[in-house]
Amino acid sequence: MNLKKTGLLLVLTLLYFTAAAQQKFTVSGYVKDAANGEDLIGVTVYVQELKTGAVTNQYGFYSLTLPQEVYTLTFSYIGYVPQQTKLNVNQNHTLNIQLSEESDQMQEVVVTAERPDANVVSTEMSANTLEIKTVSKMPALMGEVDIVRSIQLLPGVSSVGEGATGFNVRGGSIDQNLILLDEAPVYNSSHLFGFFSVFNPDAVKDVKLLKGGIPAQYGGRLSSLLDVRMKEGNAKQLSVSGGIGTVSSRLTVEAPIVKDRSSFIITGRRSYADLFLKASSDPELNNNTLYFYDLTAKVNYKLDDKNTVYLSGYFGRDVAGFGDDFGTDWGNATGTIRWNRLISDKLFANFTGVASRYNYSLGIPDGAEAFKWTSHIINYSGKTDFSWYLNPSNTVNFGASAIRYQFSPGKISVGSESIYNGMEMDQQNAVELGIYADDEWTVSDKLSVQAGLRLSHFRYLGGTTVYEYAGVDGDSKAPVNPKEYGKGETVSQYTNPEPRFSLRYSLDHRSSLKFSYNRMAQYIHLISSTTAASPWDIWRPTTNNIKPELADQVALGYFRNFRENTVEASAEVFYKDMQNGVDFIDGAETLLNEHLEGELLYGRGRAYGLELFAKKSKGLLTGWVSYTLSKSERKIAGINNGEWYNAKYDRTHNLSVVALYDLNERWSLSSNFSYATGVATTFPNGRYEWGGYTVPHNTLGVRNNYRVPAYHRLDLSATLAGRKHPGRKWESDWVFTLYNVYGRKNAFTVYFRQNEDNPKQTEAVRFALFGSVIPAVTYNFKF
Amino acid sequence: MIKHLKTYMLMLALLLTGAACTDVIDVELPEGEPLLVVDGWIYDTPGPYTITLSTTAPYFGNAETPRVTGATVRIADNEGFTEELIEVAPGKYQTQNIRGKVGNTYTLSIDYDGESYRAVTNIKPGVTVDYLTYEFKEESGGMDEGYFLKFFGQELETEGDHYHLRMYQNDQYLSEPGQLIFVSDQMVDGNYIHDLQLNWEPFSLNDKVKLEMLVITEDTYQFLLELSQQINNGGMFPNPIANVRTNVVNTSSEGKKAAGYFAGASIDTIEGTISAESGVINR
Repeated sequence: MNLKKTGLLLVLTLLYFTAAAQQKFTVSGYVKDAANGEDLIGVTVYVQELKTGAVTNQYGFYSLTLPQEVYTLTFSYIGYVPQQTKLNVNQNHTLNIQLSEESDQMQEVVVTAERPDANVVSTEMSANTLEIKTVSKMPALMGEVDIVRSIQLLPGVSSVGEGATGFNVRGGSIDQNLILLDEAPVYNSSHLFGFFSVFNPDAVKDVKLLKGGIPAQYGGRLSSLLDVRMKEGNAKQLSVSGGIGTVSSRLTVEAPIVKDRSSFIITGRRSYADLFLKASSDPELNNNTLYFYDLTAKVNYKLDDKNTVYLSGYFGRDVAGFGDDFGTDWGNATGTIRWNRLISDKLFANFTGVASRYNYSLGIPDGAEAFKWTSHIINYSGKTDFSWYLNPSNTVNFGASAIRYQFSPGKISVGSESIYNGMEMDQQNAVELGIYADDEWTVSDKLSVQAGLRLSHFRYLGGTTVYEYAGVDGDSKAPVNPKEYGKGETVSQYTNPEPRFSLRYSLDHRSSLKFSYNRMAQYIHLISSTTAASPWDIWRPTTNNIKPELADQVALGYFRNFRENTVEASAEVFYKDMQNGVDFIDGAETLLNEHLEGELLYGRGRAYGLELFAKKSKGLLTGWVSYTLSKSERKIAGINNGEWYNAKYDRTHNLSVVALYDLNERWSLSSNFSYATGVATTFPNGRYEWGGYTVPHNTLGVRNNYRVPAYHRLDLSATLAGRKHPGRKWESDWVFTLYNVYGRKNAFTVYFRQNEDNPKQTEAVRFALFGSVIPAVTYNFKF
Repeated sequence: MIKHLKTYMLMLALLLTGAACTDVIDVELPEGEPLLVVDGWIYDTPGPYTITLSTTAPYFGNAETPRVTGATVRIADNEGFTEELIEVAPGKYQTQNIRGKVGNTYTLSIDYDGESYRAVTNIKPGVTVDYLTYEFKEESGGMDEGYFLKFFGQELETEGDHYHLRMYQNDQYLSEPGQLIFVSDQMVDGNYIHDLQLNWEPFSLNDKVKLEMLVITEDTYQFLLELSQQINNGGMFPNPIANVRTNVVNTSSEGKKAAGYFAGASIDTIEGTISAESGVINR
């Protein structure tokens, strides 16, 4: 019923605005970087006379429909020199703009033209954009510029520990983040178990994290959208850049194929710690392998003024092995093809085809115990998105998507000598469909609204034997009622309407209030039996037993800018309710278990909190302060006696301070400081003896009743830019990093054990991944 | 095979950072009320069988946990035979006549402190170890030089068999948490098991070797698995700290809970001495 009403309202609204449009013309075009032709995302296009404007989309496109008049248009973008243009709008105009980066000398120039800031004006809230320029100046672990770790310094984002895979947004688990690399989902964001992220910073143009108020265009995960956009490649000239670091080296080549029409970028990275291992004379070390690499490539071709095609791909791999005893490798691969088409100067269309895969293998290469175990998740998807720039007050977005999933939960292959039997668990197949529409509506000077609906549909398909599970929550359940389903036959299906709504009300030209509500549905789930996710965790679809996860989130925020928009500040509160979260019984066997669903438990989750954020983006000193006060809890029958308990990654206080300072033309300094309440963990309140072992026990049967000690860390880095020679393209810099400056042994886990020499003696043990300061040096170059 | 996964993961992590470290820290823990703890086995080999009763104690300590004395302890089988156990030492209760038999179900009942507890188990059909081999190996891949033992024998044809292996070196049970061995036939059902390495810490020349191979119930296997997860925790991918299952239940659902396990098993034993560079230990 609600659905119908919303739809009707939308149509009526559209009709009204169409009818009201008289003698109006459209100004549209692309905004690009003057130096390399990269599309600029999120450029504010401001019409002084109307005090209204638009923002360029993910492809740098904007469109404004205005009544006939002479206007002053201002194009502004952080870190770039704003451009003002007077334009007599008496016909439809195509106005392509190129913006130049501010040079250091110009940083103190204050632009006097009054222009509002997107932070205050847009309906978007709970959003953070990280400029790759900033990220690359921040101190990084072993000098590896890392997007995922940088995100963890933003409000509302935490993790189960440094060096753990993934990140947690507003009390959600790591599988609740939709990580898109040029629209392709990435299933594991980490290299080397979580030490580094899979994104090569040299290939990344823009990173945006949305924690709430997620537009109807996106769906499939409960907690956040991390939208990583790759560079298009320099459309003006050949450019080579790279870096030599402590852990890895990088090389990027970008160049026009046809000048201003087509360009490419290809970038690669490989770690080389293993090369040092090989060189070691210690047989304990030189038999071992441990490395990662990734390759990112993108080509774009502008067919004509109305059509552009993009082709991008990513391939990353981690390889680890212990001589003949053990070997494993894992990685993501994605491919994206996109076609931007300007159907008219008011209607922008984007068609996308995506293939994405995450797979791993694990095994013992030789001998009686030889085996190789492989598992994967593959998806193919197609989607189409339209933006209709109806008039300056309304932009309507609509589209549809279809995803085909294939899951291979596990396959064992063995050699002829092996004592093991080969086996293959049934593949699981599923389809996820979505349609959506929303309207960005500027109701008045003060009020603007983005409202929409996404309708998602999921089908779990057959080709396998399907069971139900009977038993008591908290114990292993037995499979019952086996039923064969043919290939393509629907086992179970689910449909969820997902309303999305955001609202901005301006208090004055510097401050606004924002409100958002969103419902999200999630149909695939990461099953991880360890407290920190590992590369060998398994993705599972929603089935007849596993229900779709649902989340409802409301957020309210106050946004205010200071000092000519050079300081932006916000305060947000949020509440998120989650249903059908997946957990598992104690001692669950999550790997190679055909009846895994018999070991799963389902329950509710809730998270709420306050996030404060202040960011200074201009001047010699830049950076931000972020503070989060929050709570994240779960309630699952069979765990913690059925009562609410703290999620592992619940961190009451979470503070980050990031500061970057330009000392002089050559030296710049930066620092991070993080403080967070220790993760929740279960501590015993007793011990007992069994079979000569001393066993920790909690007589109350509670979960996550304690905290490991608080986490805090300071990192510093200094960048020395090479001397610039006029007329020479060569640029270089040295980055010196100290990670964990004061060498704090932050507890990754605290666990309990009997003393090695005296089993009757018990002790609490802290495991810290980094027990000392970690220095690193990186050399970067560009020509 | 999955058992050793975590060891490798930890080693990888250590390799990677070189900076990882573990240390013993002070933690304040609350103290829970003491609960009854049962530790006992019944085998298909002649008794007496011993049931040890104790209670839980505050986690930190360096002495034995309190023994439970004066309890009434009985074992009954499904053939109608019941026997009361005699307390031979504080907390140690022994059988006199009962003899475990393959296929039978055994019920342990305990009356203590006004509460009644029950634990039920059974004895699964046994298996025969063919032989063991041993061989001297130079230091490699993180393992010290010395003698390594390998197992040879037929896995039972039936599906869903579970085993617990106990290794003894010079009559000393290898009791370190990392040496707790339990396996399921999931990946090896009905196969002839050969060249399966039994020890990760080497034996020495002239060492006496003994292997007990127990066939256990699935629930006992789960118990050992959970036990192992809790006593071998740590590293980058720790298991959530959780209570190990128990099969000891209070006959009143409102009564005090208990911990520990009463397990039944059939046993096959093979023993010999390491007397050469390499060799075979036959039955």
